[in-house]
Amino acid sequence: MDVSQYLEIFLDETKEHLQSLNTEILNLEQDPENTDTINEIFRAAHSLKGMAGTMGYKRMQNLTHDMENVFSEVRNGTIKVKGNMIDILFQCLDALEEYLNNIQETGDEGTNENEPLIKLLNDVLDSKEGGEPQTEKKTQPKAEASDGDGAKWKNIKFDDTQKRVLSEAVDQGKKVYGITVKVQESCILKAARAFLVFKALEELGEVLISNPSVQDIEDERFELDFSLIFVSDSSLEKILDSIKSVSEIEDAQGALVEDEQIGSIAAIETDKSTAPAVVAEEGENAPAAEKANQPAPAPKAAEKKAPVSKPVVNRTVRVDIEKLDVLMNLVSELIIAKNSLVSASVGERNNSVNEHIEYLESVTTNLHESVMKVRMVPIESVVNKFPRMIRDLSKKLDKKMELYMSGEETELDRTVVDEIGDPLMHLLRNAADHGLESGAVRKSKGKPEVGSIFLDAYQDGNNVVIEVRDDGAGINTAAVKEKAIMKGVITPEQGENMSEQEIINLLFSAGFSTSEVVSDVSGRGVGLDVVKSKIESLSGEVEVKSKIDIGSTWTIRLPLTLAIIQALMVDVGGEKYAISLGSIQTIEDIIPSDIKTVQNKEVIHLRGIVIPLIRLSEVLDIASKKNPEDNMTVVIVKKGDRLSGIVVDELMGQQEIVIKSLGKYITKCKVISGATILGDGEVALILDTNALF
Amino acid sequence: MEEVKVVLDNETTQFIVVRLGDEQYGIDIKYVDNIVRMQHITRVPKVQEYLKGVINLRGEVIPVMSARIKMDLPADEYTKSTRIIILKLEQHGTIGVIVDEVKEVVTLENQQIDKVAYDSKEEKDYFIFGIGKYEDGGLISLLDLNAVVLDKDSI
Repeated sequence: MDVSQYLEIFLDETKEHLQSLNTEILNLEQDPENTDTINEIFRAAHSLKGMAGTMGYKRMQNLTHDMENVFSEVRNGTIKVKGNMIDILFQCLDALEEYLNNIQETGDEGTNENEPLIKLLNDVLDSKEGGEPQTEKKTQPKAEASDGDGAKWKNIKFDDTQKRVLSEAVDQGKKVYGITVKVQESCILKAARAFLVFKALEELGEVLISNPSVQDIEDERFELDFSLIFVSDSSLEKILDSIKSVSEIEDAQGALVEDEQIGSIAAIETDKSTAPAVVAEEGENAPAAEKANQPAPAPKAAEKKAPVSKPVVNRTVRVDIEKLDVLMNLVSELIIAKNSLVSASVGERNNSVNEHIEYLESVTTNLHESVMKVRMVPIESVVNKFPRMIRDLSKKLDKKMELYMSGEETELDRTVVDEIGDPLMHLLRNAADHGLESGAVRKSKGKPEVGSIFLDAYQDGNNVVIEVRDDGAGINTAAVKEKAIMKGVITPEQGENMSEQEIINLLFSAGFSTSEVVSDVSGRGVGLDVVKSKIESLSGEVEVKSKIDIGSTWTIRLPLTLAIIQALMVDVGGEKYAISLGSIQTIEDIIPSDIKTVQNKEVIHLRGIVIPLIRLSEVLDIASKKNPEDNMTVVIVKKGDRLSGIVVDELMGQQEIVIKSLGKYITKCKVISGATILGDGEVALILDTNALF
Repeated sequence: MEEVKVVLDNETTQFIVVRLGDEQYGIDIKYVDNIVRMQHITRVPKVQEYLKGVINLRGEVIPVMSARIKMDLPADEYTKSTRIIILKLEQHGTIGVIVDEVKEVVTLENQQIDKVAYDSKEEKDYFIFGIGKYEDGGLISLLDLNAVVLDKDSI
């Protein structure tokens, strides 16, 4: 069978499964008893095995098969999760990733059999502990499902609203049934069968509660059975018969729920003549035994621990990013066309035209936003691999550390997310290697022995901010200065006059590494300057703040969108420039006499803050057309928490602009970040206010 | 019959003949994307003097340079016949070059082109890779576009 057309999907999905395995195994290490996690791992491993098999990657399949065996034993409670087992599992994941990389590059999985790993896995299997833990685990689920093997619906708990609805139904003379439906093991489309069952039932009455939830059932997230609370006028036999008329349904059992017992959910057994007969026919023992073997099925566990319940997965379509780029370009063109329409209609005092144009404007803005949103993905996909990395680093460096992440759901443009992984990894490695002290040193400083690294992401206006923070030693500026002088980055005289912050910023210069020993983890001196240039190539910026013995904070600031922005158009000496609205704080009218001079620099005093003034006409080598006696228009822009006042001749209003690159020839101009085409066809340049500071 | 034979024997190259000041120059036609009339150029501050700015060419922002300034000739005087030749260079992208006038297209056989040897290149000939000889005896300097378009330091 030719499966090459599925290769891409296979790669994508395998990556997803590997990632979820990574995450879940980490969870398992923290909480070895969590059946939810174990089930999740089992499922992922199982899918992985299936996919590898389908694609004909035998070695990959073998390895996952053995992993699955281990998970299966863990699930059954015959093996306990131990530290070295987690290590082995991680090694397996690494091996799988290697296969995957080989497949991605060459289309072939390679020849590495990974026999030592498979042997290790089998050793784990052989070390099966019999006796105590096994029985312990088994008794609990047995108790749960003991009365009436198929009657799982008895485990459904009602909340107050549901109780009220049920008692109302009883008041109306309707009957309340509890039903458990079991699907045949060989059934392929479980969700479809369940759907047919629901459809059949809806003809007879109303399904009030289902366990697992309807959504989970639709997504096929249930084992082999599901339970319902059903309100109907019909008799139980009729209901059960209609369920069983759906093919591939192995069994359906049900009973009347009595209203005074709704709280405690006692039940009346079904008319034994119908239901058990079917059960016996299909083999009563097998399903019952199997059920007893499984420690509380996943949905039930999730119900008990509400906070860990899995998010409902939205329906998605995979789209080639190039198609989205085309769409984005078309939207850009549309916005330019709209802008020219706007400028063509200026002066025409026709209200209806204006109305239509305003409508068009709102549509294009919404369209742009939607297209942008389509391109946005949560940074989760990138940061997910970090807990694992920190765990490995912790072992390698022999330092205890913990990674705390927040804001994984923060969204960024897909292209940015793809690029941001390496810089972040660098910063985290730095924090782990250089930032955090060893356990002994931490103790002597009175800090907790386990170091903390924080990765926080959040949206701030038009920017997304990602912070990497540690509670380590902070940056030793004296050492940095010494090193910088030694490496010839600065002269000793320069060093004398530098502020702490300036010295810290030296870390970003090329070929700089303060670590005396080049370690595996960091310290090849190609780190931070690469981080900086990478971030800057994404139109972002990176800053670092540090306090001795408190720790360091690396802040990455990235623009939310790269293609279309809201901008303020200004006039300087007859030329038009655009300033991104995101960086503008306020706009002020300043009397020339209010300008003070501090250290030969012009500043203004604004509501208690001293703000340096930048005359745009000087920066851009053009003569201002304004009378110097007149009041000045000052645009206050911010970069991080610093402010700066930009003096312009005139404000021309706000506009949505499409950013175009200036190309490869114009590279010397740092203050211009790009160009845009105005409605009248003229080109206006976009100021990079960050470069003015 | 004779003509065909000539073409087969000798590879030919087409050049656009442009005027810069008093001299005629040839630009290899395969790099020419477009020729447009002079239009408003948006100045870009803080760049090399010969980069005059950017123009809007059907929705694309294209940088424009002055060949005169780059080649140390007197600065441009824009007239009715001034044109911007849009060049598409494989590696470096699109750029516009301002010329005083576009005259004609000529086809030169390889044997009509005298290559300028590199070691004999003087500063003045830096931008020229060869001399083309017209059939009627006229001469044109053939521009080395990479030298014209790129910064000396980056070549």
